[in-house]
Amino acid sequence: MNILQTDNLTKYYGTEPLVVKALDGITLAIEQGSFTAVVGTSGSGKSTLLHMLGGLDTPTGGSVTVDGQELSGMGRNELTVFRRRKIGFVFQNYNLIPHLTVYDNIVLPVELDGRSVDQRYLQDIVRALGLADKLYRKPGKLSGGQQQRTAIARALITKPAIILADEPTGNLDSRTSQEVIGLLQATGKRFHQTIVMITHNDEIAQVADRAIRIEDGRISEGR
Amino acid sequence: MNAFKSILQAVHVFLTVAGCVFFGTQLPAGRIKWISFVFLFLLCVLGIGYYLYFRKRFVDFSEEICQKADQMIWNGNERDRYGENRNDDFDYSHNQETLSSKLIMELEKLEDIIRSRLSESEQEKEKLQKTISEIAHQVKTPLSNIRMYQDMLKEPGLSGEEAEKFMEITERQLEKLEFLIDSLIKASRLESDLIRLHIEDGSIFHTLTISVDGIVRQADRKQLGLSVCCDPAIKAFHDVKWTAEAIGNILDNAVKYTPEGGRIRIDVHQGELYAEIRIRDTGKGISPAHYNDIFKRFYRESSARNTGGLGLGLYIARNIVMREGGYVMVRSVLGEGSAFSIFLPMNQVL
Repeated sequence: MNILQTDNLTKYYGTEPLVVKALDGITLAIEQGSFTAVVGTSGSGKSTLLHMLGGLDTPTGGSVTVDGQELSGMGRNELTVFRRRKIGFVFQNYNLIPHLTVYDNIVLPVELDGRSVDQRYLQDIVRALGLADKLYRKPGKLSGGQQQRTAIARALITKPAIILADEPTGNLDSRTSQEVIGLLQATGKRFHQTIVMITHNDEIAQVADRAIRIEDGRISEGR
Repeated sequence: MNAFKSILQAVHVFLTVAGCVFFGTQLPAGRIKWISFVFLFLLCVLGIGYYLYFRKRFVDFSEEICQKADQMIWNGNERDRYGENRNDDFDYSHNQETLSSKLIMELEKLEDIIRSRLSESEQEKEKLQKTISEIAHQVKTPLSNIRMYQDMLKEPGLSGEEAEKFMEITERQLEKLEFLIDSLIKASRLESDLIRLHIEDGSIFHTLTISVDGIVRQADRKQLGLSVCCDPAIKAFHDVKWTAEAIGNILDNAVKYTPEGGRIRIDVHQGELYAEIRIRDTGKGISPAHYNDIFKRFYRESSARNTGGLGLGLYIARNIVMREGGYVMVRSVLGEGSAFSIFLPMNQVL
């Protein structure tokens, strides 16, 4: 079953004759529960693709279907709620809130949705990610790897069907990168999540079930 | 009746006092009685109204949820949750901040997970079938070879030298057959979830010894330098027997693809969350574009076709390690060698 689908997706910037084709006709289907790596050099359009998949940006043409729903048919508010309930994001620069503790950062999306935190699940995630003894620290006191693990915990806490990770290891050294990717993969398998990860690094991409290569806004390999 | 009387009395007193405060004089008793009846009556009507209103809302709410659940059951296989046949009355309940929307989306998530588990087990079945048919196919060649040489051995005018040669060939084919069947058993047991891993926090050194023992002879035969560097104090969560198998498979490959006189080095490091077992060889290496492929079932690199093997070793190794909550990575330079790393969790991940 395909949880994510794009059909001839395009994104153009600028007007004729100076059109930049960030995405140039991407047709893609991602199966539920899989771990897909999107590999490409910077400027290849991979980040744009991820933003489209998450409904963070609107395409010029084509469609994105997430879990049976077409994103273009949704209003702004609808899209916000949809994202919060279905998709977890992990960014390169972690995007943690500096004056909240690790715990508060993790549970933020649940509280935004007006629900109570499933404490047992939280303990599970936190233990798996090796954050159990750092819950009451501020993000600024943590290493890069620990901050990214906090961001992963935050993405997992709402039990989203999909996790979109944009260069999650971009700011980490190679050893820490490997650990973060290993955890992402293990937790994804455990909680039945579909993961799409963007990276420019072949070494990181090998942990994925499938690698898709993007060049100049087109899929060059691994459809 | 007594309760009613006392409530009436209370209202009576209240109105008397209120009358005093508002009008400055005491109102006549008859009028107060009348007012208090009207007051109580209004209160009752209001109460009943409220009750009916909230009851109606609650009934609507549960109706909506039930309808949605019915739809999910009804649409069993096809997914037209939002498609052509959708019930427009209930479409509004997606992506809203309302309680019913929240509940419905949660229900859908549950449905998705159950569906994904189902399809996962179907895929597993399919994979298993493919593995079996692939191996059945592979088994045929050595089997018919053995049969052929067996027939030749039976021929009367056979010289002793020839007979010895045929016997040797048969023996090699038998070895191949044994290996194939062994792989079949392992792969099918792994894929059909038959094995239960006994994951314990144990010393890696011990596990490593078991797997290294298995390849020492082959390594010796090829005159490979073998070195192991491991602190016996390093522990990780793993199943001793199956992890030894996984490491053994990777070592097997290292021996197979490293030319005579090469080196194989094993070292173990401790990270923040994982212990890393790194196996480096001076073999022919793997191009980065194939990093992802070599762990797939039956994948053989085109340049490796003439070396014996099925393309299951690394697949099995990765499968085992992943089930333990770890992962396998490779880094390689073509022509210089490869480094495989097995990462085993030091905290209990799964």
